[in-house]
Amino acid sequence: MELADRAVGFVLSFISITIFTYYTFWVIILPFVDSNHFIHKYFLPQEYAILIPVTAGVALLCFISIFIGYVMLKSKKKKA
Amino acid sequence: MKHIVKIITLLMAITTVWVGLLQTSTIPSSHTWLLPIYCVVSLGCYGLLMVGVGLMQFPTCPQEALLLQQDIVEAKSYLKQRGIDVNGS
Repeated sequence: MELADRAVGFVLSFISITIFTYYTFWVIILPFVDSNHFIHKYFLPQEYAILIPVTAGVALLCFISIFIGYVMLKSKKKKA
Repeated sequence: MKHIVKIITLLMAITTVWVGLLQTSTIPSSHTWLLPIYCVVSLGCYGLLMVGVGLMQFPTCPQEALLLQQDIVEAKSYLKQRGIDVNGS
């Protein structure tokens, strides 16, 4: 049981560290690098560095509001 | 009410720091524009990291779990004697 917990915890922290390093590289280090360097092949164009977090945030907000609305409707229908 | 005021004051302070950074270009301007999004993303990442680390370090107590199971069996037999059936729902 605790091995499964440890595995899930490890996967979560690994994902978070990966996202953090990738994003740091993307936003902070890449603008200082020459545009002819090979490393630019591994990173998407810079506009996506803004688009992807903003779309993820908007999707999260939508999901939360839909969920809250659904729960409220269900509770109202059960009372009536 | 006071809590909201505190949060809004904090947000205002952070916004003024950001605008101040924009005006006096200590950091290159393109980096300053991306700073808020970067802070939000790194905050989310930090939260996820703390959850993962907490999961990994969560202490399970095998002896206490065994004692608990014994207690449950005892309680069930005791209540059954008294005529109350607590065997699942």
